[in-house]
Amino acid sequence: MTPNRHRDFKLDTWGIVLLLPLIVVPFVTTNPLLNSLTYQSAIGVSAAMAVYIMLRMGLLSFTVPAFMAFGGYAAAMLAKSGTTNVLALMAIAFIVPALFAIPLGTLVLRLKGVYFIFITFIFNEILQLILFETPTLTGGSDGISAVPPATFFGMGLETPRGLVVVTVIVCFVAALSALAVTQRFRPEFTSIEENETLAESLGVAVWKYRTIGFVASAGVSGLAGFSMVNMLSTAHPSSFASWSVNAYIAYAFVGGRSTMLGIVVGSLLLIVMTNVFSAYAHLSAGLFGILLLVVMMAAPGGLVGTAIRFLDARKARAQGQGVTQ
Amino acid sequence: MQSFISTGLIGLSLGTQYALISIGFTLIFGIMGVVNFAHGGFYVLGGYFAFTLTHKLGLPYVPAVILAMLATAVLGYIIERLFVEKYVVDHLATMLITLGIYQIMTTGITLVYGAEPAEFRFPVSGSLRGGGFYIPYANLIVFVVCAIAIAAVYYLVFKTRYGIALRAMADDGPVARAQGIHPAKMFPMAFGLATALAGLTGALVTPILALEPHGGEAVLGKAFVIVILGGLGSVTGAMISAFIVGLVEAYSSVYLGGSKGALALFVLVVIILLVRPQGLMGTVARRA
Repeated sequence: MTPNRHRDFKLDTWGIVLLLPLIVVPFVTTNPLLNSLTYQSAIGVSAAMAVYIMLRMGLLSFTVPAFMAFGGYAAAMLAKSGTTNVLALMAIAFIVPALFAIPLGTLVLRLKGVYFIFITFIFNEILQLILFETPTLTGGSDGISAVPPATFFGMGLETPRGLVVVTVIVCFVAALSALAVTQRFRPEFTSIEENETLAESLGVAVWKYRTIGFVASAGVSGLAGFSMVNMLSTAHPSSFASWSVNAYIAYAFVGGRSTMLGIVVGSLLLIVMTNVFSAYAHLSAGLFGILLLVVMMAAPGGLVGTAIRFLDARKARAQGQGVTQ
Repeated sequence: MQSFISTGLIGLSLGTQYALISIGFTLIFGIMGVVNFAHGGFYVLGGYFAFTLTHKLGLPYVPAVILAMLATAVLGYIIERLFVEKYVVDHLATMLITLGIYQIMTTGITLVYGAEPAEFRFPVSGSLRGGGFYIPYANLIVFVVCAIAIAAVYYLVFKTRYGIALRAMADDGPVARAQGIHPAKMFPMAFGLATALAGLTGALVTPILALEPHGGEAVLGKAFVIVILGGLGSVTGAMISAFIVGLVEAYSSVYLGGSKGALALFVLVVIILLVRPQGLMGTVARRA
C-alpha cells in the first residue's frame, strides 16, 4: 500500500470509527432528542455515502433520493407481504435499486459534468411523478402506510430503541459497503476522477468502473431509503423529494468530499446544527445556507480536506526547516 | 376547436415566461460556467419586490415591476462580486455557493413575509374573446411584455458591443481575455442581467400563478428542463425549447390531465439528452 493510499484508508476507517458512538446511544439513554439525532445522523450518513461513491469518480449524482425511493418502497412492499426479517429487507433495499441502476447507468453514464447533474436531477423528478401516477403499486400521493417494523429472526424490533438500532446497523452496512467499493477500486476511481481520457488510453475500462460505482451508490441509497421507511413506518413520496438531495450533497462538501471521515463529519455536524437551529425553525434553512456559503468560501476542500491540507503544509514546512538545519 | 386555440395561446404565454427565466439561466452558464441554483430565488424575490411596492407602498404596478427588475439586477451584481466571482472556475463550488444563497434568500423572505402565499393579484382582470378563442388579459399582457424583453435581450446579445463581448467570453474565455475583454467587468454584468430577467419574470408572473417563498424550486426545475432541451449556453435554444415546454404543458394539462404531461416531457428531455447531449440547437457553448 502506498503512503497516500494508506493515509486515505486510515481516514476512511476513522470515519467509520466516528460512527461507533451511534450504536451506544439507544442503549444508554431514552432521551428523545439524542435518539432522534442518532437516527437522523444514521440516515444522513447512509445517503451521503451514496453521494461520496460517485464523487470519488468526479461525478456529482442527484439520483440519491430516487434510489432511496426504490429501496424504501421495495422494502415496504416486502414487509407488507409478510417478510419482515431485517436481513431480507436490507437485501431487497440494496438489490432493487442496484438492478435498476444497471440499465439506467448504461444510458446516463455516457454524460459528464453538468449534463450528468441535470439528467440525474430530472430522473428524480420522473420518479416522483411515477410514484404519484401509480397508486395501485405505490399508493400514489398517500404512499404505503403502516409498514410493519423489521424483525430479526422472530425478535421484534418495533420499540423506539429497536428502530434506532436497525437504522444505525443499516448505516454501518452502508458505510462498510462504501468503504469496500472505494478502497477496492480506488486506483481506477482516482484515475477516472483525475483524467478520464488518460485513464482510458492507459487501458482503464472507464464505463465498467463508472457502472460499478453507480450500482454501488444506488444500493447504498436504497439502504438509506429502507432506514427511513422503517423509522417512519411509511413509504411516502415526500420523504424522497428531489430537493432533499441538496442536504446530502451539502454534508459531503461541508465535511470534505475526498474522504469518508469528511462525509461523516459533515453529516454529523450539519444534522446536529440543523437540530440546534430547529428551536428557530424559521431560521434553520438560512443558517444552513450561511454555513454552506462560509465553508465553501473559506474551506473549499471541506473541513476535513482543509485540515489535512493545513497539516500537510505544516509537515512540509517542518521537513524543509530540518533539511536547512 | 375554441378550447384548442385558447390552450395554444396559453401555451405560448407560458412559453414566453419560461423563455425569459431560462435565457437568464443559460446566459450565466454559457458565459461563466456557473449553474446558478439561486436563479429561482431571484424570480421569487422579483415577485416580492413588486408585491411590496404595489401593496405596501401603493406604487402603480408598472413602475413596481421596473423597480423590482432593477433591484434584482443590483442584488445579482453584488452577489456575483461578493460570492461567485472568486470561485467561478469551480463548477461544484459555485453550485453549492448559489444553493446556500438560495436558502438564505428563502429564509429571509419567509421571515419578512411569512411562509403562506402572499395575496398578490394582477391589476388587470377579464379576458379577450375573439372568433374561436379567448385569453385572459393578464396572460396577454405578460406575453407582450416578455416578448419585448426577449427581443431586448436578443438585441443586447447579438447587436451590441457588450453582447459581442459576452458571446466572445462564452465561446473562448482565454482568447476573449487576450482581446482585452475583462471577466471582472463582464461576469457581474452578465449575472446582473440574468437575475434582472428572473426578477422581471417573477414580478410579472407571480400575480397570475402564486407568490410563495419556496416557489423558486419549481422554476429552477423548469429552467433545467428547458436549457437541457435547448442546449446549455444557447440563448436561441432556450427560447425555442421554452415554447415547446409551454405548449406541451398547456395541452397536456387540458387533454391528458394530472402529471402525465409533465412525465411525457421529462421522458422526452431524457431521450433528447441521450441522443443529442448538446440539446436541440446543437451548440456546445462551453464544455460541461
